[in-house]
Amino acid sequence: MKLLTTCLLAAALPWIPPPAEAARPYINDKQAPENRKDLEAIQTALTSVLDQARAATVCIDLGQGSGSGVIVSEDGLVLTAAHVATGVNKDLEVILEDGRRLKAVSLGVVADCDAAMIQISAKEKFPFVTVDREDSTRLGDWVFSLGHSGGFDKERGSVVRLGRLVRLAETTVQSDCTLIGGDSGGPLFDLQGRLIGIHSRVGQQLQMNMHVPMSVYVQNWDSMLKSEFVGEGPFAQKPEKGKGFLGLASEKHPDGGIKVTKVGKDTPAEQAGLKEGDILLKLNGTALETRAQLQDLLKEMAAGDPLEFHATRDGKPKTFKFKLGAR
Amino acid sequence: MPPAMANPRPSNSNSVHAKLPIPALVIALTLPTAVGAQTLESNFRTTGPGVVAAFEPQRMVLQTSSAVIYDGRKEAIYGVVVSPQGDILTKASELQNIKKLAITVDRKKFTEVTIVAIDPTWDVAHLKVVATDLVPVVYAPTSAVPQGTWVVANGATSLTRRRALAGIVSAKIREVPPAGGAILGVTLKQDPKEGDSPLELVEVQEKSGSEEAGLQAGDVITAINDQPVKTREDIAKALKDAKAGARIQVTYRRKGKSTTVEVRLMAREQMADQLSRNDQMSGEFSKRRSGFPRILQHDILGASSVVGGPLLDLDGRCLGMNIARATRAESFAIPVEDLKTIATRMLADAKNNAAQEKPATPVSPEGDSTENPERKTYPID
Repeated sequence: MKLLTTCLLAAALPWIPPPAEAARPYINDKQAPENRKDLEAIQTALTSVLDQARAATVCIDLGQGSGSGVIVSEDGLVLTAAHVATGVNKDLEVILEDGRRLKAVSLGVVADCDAAMIQISAKEKFPFVTVDREDSTRLGDWVFSLGHSGGFDKERGSVVRLGRLVRLAETTVQSDCTLIGGDSGGPLFDLQGRLIGIHSRVGQQLQMNMHVPMSVYVQNWDSMLKSEFVGEGPFAQKPEKGKGFLGLASEKHPDGGIKVTKVGKDTPAEQAGLKEGDILLKLNGTALETRAQLQDLLKEMAAGDPLEFHATRDGKPKTFKFKLGAR
Repeated sequence: MPPAMANPRPSNSNSVHAKLPIPALVIALTLPTAVGAQTLESNFRTTGPGVVAAFEPQRMVLQTSSAVIYDGRKEAIYGVVVSPQGDILTKASELQNIKKLAITVDRKKFTEVTIVAIDPTWDVAHLKVVATDLVPVVYAPTSAVPQGTWVVANGATSLTRRRALAGIVSAKIREVPPAGGAILGVTLKQDPKEGDSPLELVEVQEKSGSEEAGLQAGDVITAINDQPVKTREDIAKALKDAKAGARIQVTYRRKGKSTTVEVRLMAREQMADQLSRNDQMSGEFSKRRSGFPRILQHDILGASSVVGGPLLDLDGRCLGMNIARATRAESFAIPVEDLKTIATRMLADAKNNAAQEKPATPVSPEGDSTENPERKTYPID
């Protein structure tokens, strides 16, 4: 069996409290809808939770292309796919349903299951959806997908598609909600409006739409909150250690610490505000004594890792916080 | 700016994904070989016969009020029956490839089919077969139904039996601007000699608004909307924010005489070599899938040829006419309000033309300003 698959990246809201948990719709326990009443049961359930689901669905702009995501907490925690977040500590931009653009940063990723978490930086109350932590959906359940197919389009809004859960495996669920580029990272909901999966990839057939089940997120929740890189890929690549770039020259300072002798143009060090003559005392809590020691510390780090230098300038203490650049 | 869905920033995603060992491997591991995986039998999937059976009342409407349009014996597209007297609307651009036009409505087969007229703005063709007792669709009162509302359309068909496919209304009703912008439908002289105007026409595209307005090769465009134009850039600037279907005033010079006509702008067809990544993963899609004044989006995703037929609600009423399978995940229909206007106008035009025994789309050879009153009614809003 040939399985060609493709990752699905493309390419002020009123705060609505999540609705009270509705009961499992009877229609999910029927093999198929049989009549008008059954069809209307699906339609009524879907339309009653759609607004809330849509309000929490975001577009994630990566500059080059875009994906989708969904807000799962009032303070702006977003679940998406690892291949949308692309890694830990990445600066991203989230677009809300009304077109508002907000800064966000990626937290942890589960690179072998295509799961990721990001945090919107702005402090406000966001519309959000409930995560189905109990993994309570079953094969054949009616579900719906939302996503910014092909990129954000305010005139169109996010696109909703209806389907059933057609295959359940440990780290992948398949639905017949048809997905396309830009939907990646977007939400899959049950008819009660609970988040049950995140869009990951498609096969060539329309029925091949793969989602990461909530169980993967629940199992890795704390690691992702702590911005950990879990797994070895293929959906996100761990930055290689020792390939980081700081952009300054230094020498041992006789009175302790190391002295900056030169700051390169357009380098992370320059952008962080470091200047020639600054005395670096500590990096991420470790006291600095020699240039070789600083180099050893950096060798164990990768591009994108956070740096915190305690330093002095003209005798006054200064702190510089920035990220290690890529060479 | 092109609409994101019709023309997603192509490449982009490639740059992010090219690095990934594309997850064939991952799927292979998690799908066919996964132990304990559960699979829903195809009969009960959303498009499976076990589910589609619930749409029997709507299927019956497709049986009587949708037309199957054949190329010889091969099913090509569908149509909407709009009168008992054999008036059928379908997607115009799909007719181009049909060599031997034949139509089946219910069990009746019609081999004599007339293409009465074409509305290029909406890409709708008016077909006529000889009949007196067809069952026209019943129009729904409004297309403004909530997203998530069930809709039903033609699936595959047999000689005697229509099949239904179901889906839901998927997004907001909106305009889909032409993917490549609006154009006049003319070719300008490539390398004008010293002294020649670069705005001399060497060709006027068939069925374009420029042809309708009477423009000919050799004419020189001198102004657009009363603003003088001298270069290609001037024209591009004048058309920058224009929409397909809109009308502009074009002034041209022919044999020393200056004339101003109204020209309907058309949508630039998407070039085959501009396939975006989303198009590549979409498989089949309609060739003309943008440049519609208003569309209703749904998720019934049959083959790309499943266009032209009616989009029904659960009451079996016509919510619109399927006009494009836009991508793997998006289908467009002309909303019922617009469909009604188009049908009323095209049927009235046909009646007037028949009464006057004139060709359906007269073209004034002089391209002068004697306007065809019927043409004024093409809606562009």
